[in-house]
Amino acid sequence: MSSLLQIDWLGTVRYGEALDQQKSLVEDRKAGRSGDRLLLLEHPPVVTLGRSTRPENIRTPLDELQARGIDVHEVARGGDVTYHGRGQLVGYLVADLEARGAADVTAWLRGIEAGLIEALAGLGVASRRIEGMTGVYVDDPESDVPRKIASIGVGLRGWVSYHGFALNATMDLAEFADIVPCGLQGVEMTSVAKELGLASDALLFDRCRSAVEAAFASRFG
Amino acid sequence: MSVAVVLPELGESVTEGTIAKWLVKEGDRVEIDQPLVEVTTDKVDAEIPAPESGIVSQILAAEGETVPVGTAIAQIDPSGSAATAGSARPSAAPQQAPASADGPRATPAAVHAASDAGVDLGGVAGSGPSGRIMKSDVASAAAAPAASAAPAPSIPAAPVVASAPPASGSTHGFDEERARRLFSGYTLQEGDQVKPMSPLRKIVADHMVYSKRTAPHVGTVAEIDMGGIVAVRNQHKKAFKQDHGYSLTFLPFIVHAAVRALREFPQLNASVIEDAIVEKRVIHVGIAVETEKGLVVPVVRHADRLSLAGLAAAVEDLSARARNKKISADDLKGGTFTISNPGRNGNLYGFAIINQPQVGILRMGELVKRPVVRSAGGEDAIVIRPMMHLALSYDHRAVDGAPANGFLFRVRELLEEAEFDL
Repeated sequence: MSSLLQIDWLGTVRYGEALDQQKSLVEDRKAGRSGDRLLLLEHPPVVTLGRSTRPENIRTPLDELQARGIDVHEVARGGDVTYHGRGQLVGYLVADLEARGAADVTAWLRGIEAGLIEALAGLGVASRRIEGMTGVYVDDPESDVPRKIASIGVGLRGWVSYHGFALNATMDLAEFADIVPCGLQGVEMTSVAKELGLASDALLFDRCRSAVEAAFASRFG
Repeated sequence: MSVAVVLPELGESVTEGTIAKWLVKEGDRVEIDQPLVEVTTDKVDAEIPAPESGIVSQILAAEGETVPVGTAIAQIDPSGSAATAGSARPSAAPQQAPASADGPRATPAAVHAASDAGVDLGGVAGSGPSGRIMKSDVASAAAAPAASAAPAPSIPAAPVVASAPPASGSTHGFDEERARRLFSGYTLQEGDQVKPMSPLRKIVADHMVYSKRTAPHVGTVAEIDMGGIVAVRNQHKKAFKQDHGYSLTFLPFIVHAAVRALREFPQLNASVIEDAIVEKRVIHVGIAVETEKGLVVPVVRHADRLSLAGLAAAVEDLSARARNKKISADDLKGGTFTISNPGRNGNLYGFAIINQPQVGILRMGELVKRPVVRSAGGEDAIVIRPMMHLALSYDHRAVDGAPANGFLFRVRELLEEAEFDL
């Protein structure tokens, strides 16, 4: 069966390198040299600053972060500060929305959320979206505030989208302490390992990866 | 005559955008499709391309300005004769794929799937954007041939809780055909119960298979006279319960002895990492606990720094939290050795699977009174003693028989000496 979405696992890739790769895939997609792609990967620790990053959302001075071996990138994107690190499954989707029959970026964001919710369900984690707060969330039975398990943000060049999502699979959530993720004060991050009460190891990360692959292949393939 | 560059319709409920950065300035010459400006909306960053080639004659919205969709943000003077005079079409959202007159709109994958499955697309309701027929719609239609094709909810508008994987395309839902394939040759009999594994069960299964495949397990068993421990425990258990509110079990004694033996046999407190054996300085002991939802192994950190009472408190805390589902990911991190206490009831001994990436696991058997031979004053006699088997599984890649047995018999010695301070 032909597939509309080629899915590749790239392993660990530095942020800047992955961004360059996306940009060249966007050009390929626009020129019709390539179809839609999903790149799955992990980033070494990196803090990325969007255009609307407010200084109060960075809790640790940037030079101190760099001294600790964390990359810092200013990125031409909207939104606030984010963090990526080991154990976080990053998915970059390069897709021509118009060719998919939906020149609608809102529908695209909702579709990515739905794909992640389906993947999480396959892992035994019940999750949901929240109106007005793009991302995927898990209800905390002991609090009114849901915890965030995946962050989403996309870029558009014409109708070709890039960037995508970051799913906290097995990452050490303490690493988020240096920033206020996405500028969402008071929203706590969670991970698949934390929700399932399982050890954060490579086997669980692989399970997360295959769940995401299956969900995105069935939804977008 | 000039062409307007308008802020395009980017998506439903996206009503405005903020000009983040102009990539061109007034007077610049631009080619068709060249990126002109970056616009941000919530979670989306859009680069708007030039609708025509020409000269940017006017920029109408400044960086930082938020403008409604449809607003003209720049003007381009088309150059020469190539210009399409007077056309002012939206830039980034040009041609919506037109709904074809001769049939329903469907994705190529849906068309392909429909032809494979012999489904008439005319009878399929599309759940995709603008009613487009998706592959999943075809799958649902094919699965329910008699019923009128129900639209599969692919993009629900309201917050949804996904508590169960959806049926279509799911790898977890049971269907007989798939089961036949998996059970390779086994034909389901009347009355057979097929229980698909829960996601959690599958993750546990991954670990078991991985460990068995990675580490050649060797087992060795010691029989331990727990008489001394039983005496110490009997002496203290009433006061202990009064002081602490929970019972003093045998487990902390075993942990205490194992930790002391691990210090003497660091080969057992190790990991195989690529081509090296890493002996750990810290001793963090995992305690396997059965819970409602499965086996978890919370970790007593720095178990070698704790007294017997400290270990009892840590074990009690972890097992209470495991039962109440209060175990956090941090509690499961960093174990260097594991002790499993599968409970009593006929469990003489058994070999546990090593908790990777550790190299040893100690499994407790049932404590039972047993006749054993003891020598006193040159005479052998059969006496009744409380006995327990301890079974060690070790990774023969990293550990040989001598240190493994040395460790186990040191544990036995410590338990039989029963010198514990409470």
